[in-house]
Amino acid sequence: MDVYLPIAEVSVNAPILLALGALVGFISGLFGIGGGFLMAPVLVFMGIPPAVAVASQANHVVASSTSSVLTYSKVGSVDYRMGGIMAIGGAVGALFGVELFRILRLLGQADLVVAVSYLLLLGSIGALTLKESLTTILARRRGAPPKREPTRRPLWLYGLPFRMRFPRSGLYISAIPPLALGVFAGILSAIMGVGGGFILVPAMVYVLRMRAAVVVGTSLLQILITTAVTTVLQAGRNQTVDIVLSTLLMVGGVLGAQYGAKASARFRADEMRAALGLLILLVGLQMGLSLFLRPDDPFALAPGGGG
Amino acid sequence: MIPPSPPPPEPPALIQSAPELPGPVVVAQTPTISAALTNTEIEVDSSYAGASLVLYGAVFNPGDDPADVVLVVRGPERPVRLVRKVRVAGLWLNSRPVVFEGAPAFYVMASTRPLSEIAGFGVLRRMGVGLDHIRIDAPDEQRTVNLYGVRDVVISRLGDDYLDWRRAVIRLKEADGLYRADPSGVRFVDPGLFRAEIVLPPEAPTGEYQTEVWLFQNGQAISVRRNTIQVRRVGFERWIHNFAFLQPWLYGLVSVLLAGFTGWAASRWFRRT
Repeated sequence: MDVYLPIAEVSVNAPILLALGALVGFISGLFGIGGGFLMAPVLVFMGIPPAVAVASQANHVVASSTSSVLTYSKVGSVDYRMGGIMAIGGAVGALFGVELFRILRLLGQADLVVAVSYLLLLGSIGALTLKESLTTILARRRGAPPKREPTRRPLWLYGLPFRMRFPRSGLYISAIPPLALGVFAGILSAIMGVGGGFILVPAMVYVLRMRAAVVVGTSLLQILITTAVTTVLQAGRNQTVDIVLSTLLMVGGVLGAQYGAKASARFRADEMRAALGLLILLVGLQMGLSLFLRPDDPFALAPGGGG
Repeated sequence: MIPPSPPPPEPPALIQSAPELPGPVVVAQTPTISAALTNTEIEVDSSYAGASLVLYGAVFNPGDDPADVVLVVRGPERPVRLVRKVRVAGLWLNSRPVVFEGAPAFYVMASTRPLSEIAGFGVLRRMGVGLDHIRIDAPDEQRTVNLYGVRDVVISRLGDDYLDWRRAVIRLKEADGLYRADPSGVRFVDPGLFRAEIVLPPEAPTGEYQTEVWLFQNGQAISVRRNTIQVRRVGFERWIHNFAFLQPWLYGLVSVLLAGFTGWAASRWFRRT
């Protein structure tokens, strides 16, 4: 069944979009990430203009993360204070990122920046996550006693002003690092169409050293607020949100996210991190590949020319 | 959003139109052409998957010289931004974009024979008929100078590569299915009676499309019929599109609220089951 998308101005197969939404939603609920880094490349491959794909899936992420946050919230694994502070940073970052993306599109450099961001960020984070989790898994298989978590956090976390208590995360740290993390995720949200979960989750685990139980729920809360702001900004400034596209994606997405959140309890945390690391690494390499391969056609149409 | 495209300039010294219905006695010495479309209004709704319409017509050719029919369909004009991939330090990067103007968003040429057999380069260039002769250029890259005593020589900053750029616009549009040339797209079904099919892909934009049906004889265009096709959004598609472009901030807010509600509803539904 084909549906004509009013903003993207292309005709797409509705069941495929529903299935794609469900798959990305499942991964999102499973790992506590927005899943945007997976969906944007697939949508572009399906012929949807990149600007519309990035903006519409931000709206889809709003739906799937709302559903996941509510699920995590019921079991008390969302730190609203930490999530709120990161979300303030996220909103500021989104505001800046949407303008930056506009300028990059006009300069014809948007796809370069997107490819480089995917390669560098996804590549390095995927590789680090994979390495860390594989080390843990191997140690466990050998029967070695689990390595003691280093309890010391980086010293600079304590040298900063504006210290706040985050009882649910078990932290008493400055508000500046979570805020900065939020700003960074907000910029990525606008440029790459991602929630930034793949950055937030490792940063919350390894840098902030939050209690593991609240990491996923809190990162989803931050993603929810940041992508909501991004959607409104993209619609208002660039008119690139396709509500029909995002609705199709989110119907599949919310269902997938529920099953993903439930399934996440059945797996070991280190195995999940290894799978996520591998996924992130592969997507990053695939997106970055275009920078190194000789293009089929030396010329390309730049978006933003029409209308 | 879509600037109305100006009607193509009328080529000089041509018979503009044929009589609507020839009388019982055809006295005209020059052949004339008549054509009509099965459909001049295309409605874009949520099940739109492109459209196909048929152009049919008749040639009144009193003489013995063979005549050829050439059909041209032009969509609304939209500027094209083109970049060139350049290799810098081992990486393929985009050059500064070049804006081409005058490019129709959709262009189809169909004829009874290959264009090169129907008319000469100069004639086709002057009329803008055929993929090689679409009137597009990059005005921002151009300046006029006085060169060797010749006034107003047009120089393009793209230099010798200018033709490569121009050809790339057409090649990429062809790859997207928006430009097409079919040298056997017009078929005579009966002596004097021809038909051609025009296929609009769903990617073709909304707006006003111009059709021209030319009659060629001995390398010259001798008669033409012009028509317009309207491609417009209707119903839900129209409403959503207007909402998104006329009240973009409210539209964004509604999108977010809808998404939030969907997520909340799913979570409620799952709690119960």
